[in-house]
Amino acid sequence: MHDVVYPNDGVRLSRFRDYLSKLKPSFWAIVVIPTSIAIIYYGLLASDVYTSDSYFVVKSSQREKSVTGFASFFAGEGAGGSTDEVHAVEEYLKSRDALRDVNKDGLVTNAFTRSSISIFDRFGKLGSDSEEALYKYFSKRVDSTYDGGTFVAHLKVQAYTPDDAFEINRRLLNLGESLVNRLNQRSRTDLVRYAEKEVDEARARAATAAVALSTYRNKRGVVDPEKQAAVQIQLVTKLQDELIANQTQLDQLRQFTPENPQVSVLQERVASIRRQMSTEMQKVAGGAQSLAGSVAGYERVQMDSEFAAKQLASAMASLEDAKNEARRQQIYVERIVAPNKPDAALYPKRLKGVVSVLLLGLVIYGIFQLLVAAIFEHRQ
Amino acid sequence: MGWDFAGGLTRFFKSLMVQKRVIFALLMREALTRYGRHNIGLFWLFAEPMMFTLGVTALWSATGRGHASQLPIAAFALTGYSSVLLWRNMPGRCIGAIQPNASLMYHRNVRIIDIFMSRLILEAMGATGSFLVLTLAFNYVGLIDLPEDVFKIIIGWTLLAWFGAALAITLGTLAEHSELVDKLWHPASYLMFPLSGAGFLMSAAPPAFQKVVGWIPMVHCTEYIREGYFGSKIVAIHNLGYVLLVNLILTAFGLLQIRVIARRGVLSD
Repeated sequence: MHDVVYPNDGVRLSRFRDYLSKLKPSFWAIVVIPTSIAIIYYGLLASDVYTSDSYFVVKSSQREKSVTGFASFFAGEGAGGSTDEVHAVEEYLKSRDALRDVNKDGLVTNAFTRSSISIFDRFGKLGSDSEEALYKYFSKRVDSTYDGGTFVAHLKVQAYTPDDAFEINRRLLNLGESLVNRLNQRSRTDLVRYAEKEVDEARARAATAAVALSTYRNKRGVVDPEKQAAVQIQLVTKLQDELIANQTQLDQLRQFTPENPQVSVLQERVASIRRQMSTEMQKVAGGAQSLAGSVAGYERVQMDSEFAAKQLASAMASLEDAKNEARRQQIYVERIVAPNKPDAALYPKRLKGVVSVLLLGLVIYGIFQLLVAAIFEHRQ
Repeated sequence: MGWDFAGGLTRFFKSLMVQKRVIFALLMREALTRYGRHNIGLFWLFAEPMMFTLGVTALWSATGRGHASQLPIAAFALTGYSSVLLWRNMPGRCIGAIQPNASLMYHRNVRIIDIFMSRLILEAMGATGSFLVLTLAFNYVGLIDLPEDVFKIIIGWTLLAWFGAALAITLGTLAEHSELVDKLWHPASYLMFPLSGAGFLMSAAPPAFQKVVGWIPMVHCTEYIREGYFGSKIVAIHNLGYVLLVNLILTAFGLLQIRVIARRGVLSD
């Protein structure tokens, strides 16, 4: 190879060779070879990874349950995130469902099987390309974390082109939003549906009661027996007054001028008034057709009708409450940072990878050497 | 290459056999001097840590100590306190282990690492035996279920034992330089106990606390052991890579220190 070797170079080269040959096989195996592999992988093979981040909070306008005392320290203030829902969203983003929904038009499969990706990183190249494998692969590149301190959730998507990372992140976030909307829809319809059912029932009952009342009125020929009875009694009282007046006059005439022709007239009047009173009294009480007889039945239908009306009113009020509640329980995803389209690859950290392998190799080599030396200290 | 591989390998295995015999002999000597042959003898090896765990379990059960999870307290205490015993007793035994055994070093084949290894193996056996026996006993009584994933427990337990051993060697050798190590270890081990994951689940702790406690290697092992034990019932947060890194660095440092001390000569002073 070297026909002309400058003396200086030759010395240097052979020194280097000497040095290399002095290295033990274990050093090659533990340090040199892994580091070389790392250099080749990170230097040539590993594909650039682009990361798209987005941040969101899942907010609920519902007031937190009031917590008192020590516990309020940890409970956080009213307008905080709603943890149940944020966990639901977080779990969903990592789920097979989310993958299936994002991958409807093959977005994920395309993004991770591009021919520009090195075969070590490409999906389905060195491993199986089953659904399960895709899910595993996808899970490694999508990460959502939730900070319980700030209530902010962070969605991170890694892909091999900026557009893929951005698009997957955007779609996942949209899917998370629609999940929240579904949850909303569900809780709203559940709450309101029961209240509406109640209102319908109450309305039907009120209508039946009103019909029963009017039927009763028509059948008995009364509108309001109590009021009618009062009028009737007033009439009887008037007749009574008149009767007393006439009777008194009749008695006087009989006393002083018994022969007065007025006497027979008055007698006739008194008798007539008495008959009238008796018929009027008959209308108020006594007999099935009297007002008193109608009161019992009338009160029953009347109370039914009143009760049904009150029930209807309260059902209407609770429906209104339920609607308000549903409006208040609304949860929504608020984007703090929209998905970004990365313009530079942050990963892999090539130098860091190589240096870590080197350092780790050196530490393991040191342990290995020390252990071997310790064992060799035992001689027979 | 100028390196006789086959010859080196035979020499290596011969030396390994010698070391194995030395460590076993030291182990038996240690066990007998510590527990003797009277009453239950060697069984004390398991019985000692078992009594600790039983006591703590009883205390926690009696006080109904809240640990913010659905797990039965017995299971929680068993996994937590057994782990504590594993990493805490090893350094305790290795600090000041060299001086009492100094006379043995007149034998050419007895080395500092053998003394450490024999004690470490003994401690690991004790803690493991206690964990095993108590798990089976508690299960027999009906206090807890059997583990869901034994393999994870083995991995977590091994990493924790490795960590304990590396820490023990490091502290044991450092103790030869300064008595302060011995004095500081006791309070430190007590302070680490509540922080080591024995008494809480990471997922139940506040995020700020999680961040701080995440630097403590034992926490990750305990979490992993619990994940293996309770599986789906809890959310475990762990980073075994971090534990591995700490273990490697501690081991390298500890082994290096052994050489330093051997050079200095234990017998000279």
